[in-house]
Amino acid sequence: MEVFHFKDAKIVPDIVHTYSGDIRANSVPLIYDNGSYVARVGWATSKEPLLMFKNLIAKPRKERSKKDNVEPAQAPQLQVGNDILNIEAVRFQLKTQFDRNIVTHFEAQEHLFDYAFTHLGIDSENRVNHPIVLTEAFLNPNTSRQLMTELLFECYDVPSITYGVDTLFAYHYCQSNPKSDALILSLGYQTCHIVPMLDNKVVFENIRRINTGGWNVVTFLHRILQLKYPAHATAITLSRAEELLHTICEVAEDYREELKKWFKTEYYENNIRKIQLPFSSISTNSALTLEQQKERKRELARRLTEINARKREERLAEDQEKLRQLLEIQEIIDFGAEKQEIENLLAEVQMKNLQELQKTVTNLNMRIERTRQKIIAASSAEDTEEPPVKQTKLSKMVFESDTAMHSFIDNVKKMRQEILTKKMLRKQRKQDIFKRRTAAGQERMRIISQLARKEKGNDDFGLRDEDWDIYKTISKDGGDSDSEAENEKLMEFEEILRNHEPEEFDSSANPGETHQLHVGIERFRAAELIFKPYMAGSSEAGLSEVIGYVLTLFSPDEQLRLAKNVIITGGLANLKGLKERILKDLISIRPFQSEVSVSVMKDCSLSPWYGMKQFARSEEYKKYIVTKKMYEEYGGEYFKTHLASNPYFVSPKETMVDVDT
Amino acid sequence: MNTTIPAEEQIIEQKPIFKVTQFQMNKAAKKKSVWKGLKQIISSEKSLPWPAEAVLYSSINAPPSFKPPEKFSDLSGLPAPYTDPQTRLRYANKEEYATIIDLPMDITAGYLALRGATSIVG
Repeated sequence: MEVFHFKDAKIVPDIVHTYSGDIRANSVPLIYDNGSYVARVGWATSKEPLLMFKNLIAKPRKERSKKDNVEPAQAPQLQVGNDILNIEAVRFQLKTQFDRNIVTHFEAQEHLFDYAFTHLGIDSENRVNHPIVLTEAFLNPNTSRQLMTELLFECYDVPSITYGVDTLFAYHYCQSNPKSDALILSLGYQTCHIVPMLDNKVVFENIRRINTGGWNVVTFLHRILQLKYPAHATAITLSRAEELLHTICEVAEDYREELKKWFKTEYYENNIRKIQLPFSSISTNSALTLEQQKERKRELARRLTEINARKREERLAEDQEKLRQLLEIQEIIDFGAEKQEIENLLAEVQMKNLQELQKTVTNLNMRIERTRQKIIAASSAEDTEEPPVKQTKLSKMVFESDTAMHSFIDNVKKMRQEILTKKMLRKQRKQDIFKRRTAAGQERMRIISQLARKEKGNDDFGLRDEDWDIYKTISKDGGDSDSEAENEKLMEFEEILRNHEPEEFDSSANPGETHQLHVGIERFRAAELIFKPYMAGSSEAGLSEVIGYVLTLFSPDEQLRLAKNVIITGGLANLKGLKERILKDLISIRPFQSEVSVSVMKDCSLSPWYGMKQFARSEEYKKYIVTKKMYEEYGGEYFKTHLASNPYFVSPKETMVDVDT
Repeated sequence: MNTTIPAEEQIIEQKPIFKVTQFQMNKAAKKKSVWKGLKQIISSEKSLPWPAEAVLYSSINAPPSFKPPEKFSDLSGLPAPYTDPQTRLRYANKEEYATIIDLPMDITAGYLALRGATSIVG
C-alpha cells in the first residue's frame, strides 16, 4: 500500500511585474476576478492572469504593553496575499474582505487592491488609469457595490468600472459556442449556486444559493480527521485538509452503496489511503534491541571484574610487603638482638610483644594464600561464558504444535489487553471524578455531602465495618489503584509476547506508522457534505435536492430544456465522481427517458478570468462601462446590466417606509 | 497621543503612489470603523420597500431540506442505527460503541459540535 506524503506546497511570493509603456499608454482594461477564495488579476492583453493570490491578509495584533518601545520599523508587518508564506503560522490573524461570498470589509479590500496594483507595477501618480472589470456575487447587495465603487473611484481614481458575475462571464465568453439554455451549477468556496438560464437570460428569481461550499468541506474534513486522531490534531492543518480534498477525495456515485461496501474488510483494505504525517524519530532507550541491552550488561560486568581484579592485586602486593617487613624483624629477633632494640623494632610496627608479631605473620600468610586463590579463580572464570540470562518460566515453554502456541499467545494477549483496559478505565475515572459535569464527579460530590450532613441522635456511622468502604470510593483513586502485582503481570506478558512475536509487538520497529492517518470513508464523507449539508448541522437542502427544487419552478417544457444542458463550474467542479453523481441524481428526479446531459466546464477556476478578458476585448465592452461622471450622477450602486451581469434594482428611498407605518 | 502620530505618518509614507492620498474611507468616523457584516446588510436591505419584481440576495436562499436527514455514525460515517444516550453520539456497531464509552469529553463534544447537535433540546 502506497503511503501518501503531504507536499505542503510553499507559497511563492509574487514578483512585481513590469508596467510596460504599451499598457500605460493605451489604458488597457484591468481584469480582476475577485473570488472569495482566490483573486486573479491581469491585463486584458495578457494571456494568463499575472497574479493569483488568496484573498487574505494577516494583520498582526499590536501588543499593548510593548506599544511604546517597539520602533515602527520593527513592528510586525501586515502581510497580504502571497506575502503570507506560511499560512498556518498566522492562521488566527487571517482576515478576508469577504463575509460569505459578499465583500463587506473594505479596509481589507483596500489592502488587497494595493497589493494587486503594486505587483502589477503600476506607478502612475495619484491614479490607476485603467478601466476595471470586476466580479461580484450573484445579487450582490447594493450596499456592498456602492462601497466598492466608492473605493475604486475615490481611492484609486479609476476611469471606469464594469461589474459582472464570474460564473456568467465564464459561461458566455469562455466557451466555444454556449447554448442559450442551461442550468449552471457553480460550486464555489463559500456558496454553491444553481443558476437556470433560458434564451441567454438568467432567471434570477429562480436562482438558488446553498451556503455550503469548498470551505465548509475542507473544515469538515479537517475536523473529522482531528477528532479521529486527537494526538495529531496540531499536525493536521487546514491547508493539509485542503490538499487531501484535492488529491484523494471523491464524490460517491451512490453514497449508501458506497458505505455498504466499506463494511467489507477486503474493500476497506483496498481503498483506504495511508497518509504520512511528518515526524522526527527519537531514538529512546526503548528503541534499543534486546541484543544491544544484553551487550551493554556484559560490558558492565566485564568492567566490574576488572576493577575487582585490580583491587585484589593491590591488596596482595601490600600484604606481601608487610609480611616481608615483619619477617625481617623476626629474623633480627631470632639472631638474638638486645631487649631494648627488640622493643624499638616492635614499636615501629605498632606491636606489643613477640606473640602478637607471630600471630600477625601467620594471619598475613593465610590472607595472601586466599587472595592468590581468588585471582586464579577469577582469571579462569573470565574465559568461560557467563551463565545464560535467567529466563522466565513461561517463555521457556515448548509447545507441541503451532496452534497450541498461537492459542497460548492469544490468551496472553487477551489478558494483557484486559489489564490495559482496566488501567485505562481507572485513569479515565480518575480524570472524570475531578471534572464537575461528569456522572462520576457528581456521584462523588453527592456522597461527600451526604457524609458531611450531621443528623443528631441517630449517627450510627462506623458501626459496621463496611461503612468505612465509602471513603475508598470517594478517594482520589476512586476505589482501587494500579496495583504492583498487576504491573508485574503486565511486564511478564509483554516479555512473553516480545519473545514469541517480536515483530508484532515492537511498535518502535517503524516509528512512522504511528504518525500515519488512515483515511477511509472520509474520502467520500467530506465531499458528500455538498449533498447533505445536515451532516454539518445546516438545515438547508443539499445540491441535488435544490436542483430538483429549481426545476420544479419551471414548466415541464422548460425543465427539459434546462436538464439537457447542465454545466458544472467552480473550484469544486473537478472533484472526482461529481459529474457522475449529479447525472445519476438528475436521472432519478427526471421523467422516464427524458434527455439529461451533464458536463464540466473546462478550466473551472480560471474560466471566469478568461471570460472577462474576452468580454473586455469585445466591441460591446465600451457600452457597459460606468464612468466616474455616471458615478457622481447616479450614485455608487449604479451599474450597467449586460449579458453577464446581475440585474439592477434601484434601492428604494427609505422615507417610503415611514409613510407606510 | 504622541505614539500614534508617527504610526500614521508611517502609513502615509508606505502608501502606494497610485493612490489618491487624501482619500479615507469613512471620513466621518475617525475611530476605527466597524464594517457592517453580511447579516446586517441583508436585514437592512430587506427592510426597504422593494418593488415586486426585485430579486434580492436574501431571496435566493436554498429551501430547507424536505427529506428526513439520514443518520450516520459520528465516528466512522457508516449508517448508524443506534444512539448512545449518555454522549448522544451515533454509532454503527458494538465496536464503535466500545470506543465511544472510552472517549474523553472534549472529543465527544467535538463530534456533536461538528454535527451541529450541541443544543440541549435536540
